Amino acid sequence: MVTRLAPDARSLFASAETEARTSRSAVVEAEHLLLAMAARPDTDAGRVLAAAGLTHDTIERALAQEFESSLAVAGVSVVVADLPRPSPEPPRRLRLGASFKSAMERSVTAAKGSRQIRPAHLLLGVLGAQVGTVPRALHVAGVSQTELATLTEQTLSR
Amino acid sequence: MGAIEIDPSQGPADGLAAVVALRRLADLMEDAEVERAMRSGWGWPQVAEALGVTRQAVHKKHAQRLIAAGVDLRRR
Repeated sequence: MVTRLAPDARSLFASAETEARTSRSAVVEAEHLLLAMAARPDTDAGRVLAAAGLTHDTIERALAQEFESSLAVAGVSVVVADLPRPSPEPPRRLRLGASFKSAMERSVTAAKGSRQIRPAHLLLGVLGAQVGTVPRALHVAGVSQTELATLTEQTLSR
Repeated sequence: MGAIEIDPSQGPADGLAAVVALRRLADLMEDAEVERAMRSGWGWPQVAEALGVTRQAVHKKHAQRLIAAGVDLRRR
């Protein structure tokens, strides 16, 4: 069975690419999809994030802090705000990263039996990561990944 | 699912996240410094040699981005 992407889920992909470009990444990763969701409180996924206190701004700050503390593990001291800002990749030249692809696979599985893949299915996919940048950033933000996933499932079953 | 409980925010996860962050930092610096060199009039062969990669590799990775940014790359 082919499950179709809901229009608001589809539009999140374009926003995720914009988020990746803004953060000067040549690769669209799961965290960019998460940022895109937080910027859309009119979607089911955006509502779940807002209810957990996760705005676009708080996620961005958590990601910056995660980046800084991970670099500190290697003895590298960096302040994200002071990093250079090279010109971004032109649109539609970005690759999909492994974390994005894994999140998509989990979203498709989560949406099995549903008419279409909704943003909340994408959020479940993103939250399904056991390790990596998103789990670490959520930890920094003081948000329980498990509780967030439960909230998302409840939204979908409503 | 792995057989062991993994904490994403300490232990081996910290070291592996450091690797990810270092790669990201290196990519960011490469983008910024290649752009700076090309804006200062460097040619592709010099940038490639300074980075220790082939001219083709550096061109493939950065040319479109720099053209989109308005850097004049003719006769390099």
